[in-house]
Amino acid sequence: MPFKPKPDSALLIVGHGSTENPDSSTPYFDHADEIRKRGLFAEVHCCFWKEEPSMREARFIIDAEEVYVVPDFISEGYFTQEVIPRELELSGPTTRHRGKTWHYTLPVGVHSSMTQLLLHRAREVAPAVDPSEATLFIVGHGTGLNKNSTKAVRDQADMIRESDAGYAAVHDTYMEEQPFIADWAEIAKTPHVVVVPFFIADGLHSYQDIPVLLGFEKDEGEAASQRDVFRQNPYHLRGKTLHYSSAIGTERLMADVILDQISDFDAKHLA
Amino acid sequence: MITEKLIRAIDDGYRQIGQILILPDTMGTAYALCHLDDREKLDALEVFRNPADARDISTWAEDGHYRFTKGELSLKNGWILLLEDAEALRQAIDLFYPAAIGLWLADIEGDLEVEHLRDKLNRQTGMYKFARNISDEGAQQLVQTVCGPGNCCVKHIRWQIDADTPLEDSEASRFNGTLDTGIPAIPLLCREACNHFVAECRKASKAEFEKQQNA
Repeated sequence: MPFKPKPDSALLIVGHGSTENPDSSTPYFDHADEIRKRGLFAEVHCCFWKEEPSMREARFIIDAEEVYVVPDFISEGYFTQEVIPRELELSGPTTRHRGKTWHYTLPVGVHSSMTQLLLHRAREVAPAVDPSEATLFIVGHGTGLNKNSTKAVRDQADMIRESDAGYAAVHDTYMEEQPFIADWAEIAKTPHVVVVPFFIADGLHSYQDIPVLLGFEKDEGEAASQRDVFRQNPYHLRGKTLHYSSAIGTERLMADVILDQISDFDAKHLA
Repeated sequence: MITEKLIRAIDDGYRQIGQILILPDTMGTAYALCHLDDREKLDALEVFRNPADARDISTWAEDGHYRFTKGELSLKNGWILLLEDAEALRQAIDLFYPAAIGLWLADIEGDLEVEHLRDKLNRQTGMYKFARNISDEGAQQLVQTVCGPGNCCVKHIRWQIDADTPLEDSEASRFNGTLDTGIPAIPLLCREACNHFVAECRKASKAEFEKQQNA
């Protein structure tokens, strides 16, 4: 269903940001740009935890009285449940304070429309590969500290498995917990393997850490041969053909997931 | 409305923010932005026309380092950004100096709501949690070695150590957020310590702890 424009509202996209790597915040600005071009909101802004403007500064850049706050994060967890509400002084799905009404949506990564995006990216990175001969790996970070951090990845793998995408197998895998992406060659039983990092931004994880775990980058030297790792597809290693995509959040269509998350919010809380 | 107020300020003569010159009605467009150092050679500059280009122009310093602190006194020169309307101008300035216009207007209206250092440090988590252990003396010292134009930051510090502890007098604490060119300027305001300062607090706090252990 097309998104109903909100000409009197502001959209505030919240990202993590980085003090080390500017690529880390590029997707947020791209998503904001894309939505701004469509003219759906009176204003579109970004704010960050580790970059400027900070979340605390966000209210100073917004004119509109109604603000949709969308966490451009992959999973529900510490940031979306603790840091963002605290920094933006949000007390629930809708908070009225400082003369504004703030609507706080779920993070983009948990929306069901991410499934189509992952499939789009998987097809794009391996256009000539028949899915029935391929294993699709969705890679998350994983951490023993928060069980929610793997739920979004697991849910997406489940949904792709249940879809008609036709992959021989679909696995959720992680950098730091089981099942490990490092074991991809043992897990995959097909000649082709497609790997999509389930991260918002490209950075050390997608440029270097995951390539090292997959085995086509060395665990030393300059961090990140940067985007070159995505240009050298496919990789022939461990008896298989491996297709490696950039982080899912770099997909421009992520703008649609942000809008879907807002539509869902309206249907659930404002209908 | 923030954009309208910005335009009114430009109409009133404000022409500078940070290291940037604001030029109305220039080179066939409504507004142009360029580096202050380039104001005498507009025709020789590389031309950009998309407000989003502001992010690319301001991401890296001339020596190649990442300018994650946007108030850093290291904006590259050699470019001119031509903008077709007030909205494009606002968007570009927000990318060069995030929230600067809004903070300035809030300050004029008495709504800046400064956040003092202790409040900021006490909200840090993860590895930055230890930043809160820095002593007042250590924090005062850091302001003088991290902030202000002498340390490459163009922002006017508005926060204190806490509500009862002002910053000690120094070039950094005195700086008013505008570069002295004689051109009327919108000041860059620092309402809360930046992440760079927080990271430095963490390092200093660690050094203080180790010094104590070794004493």
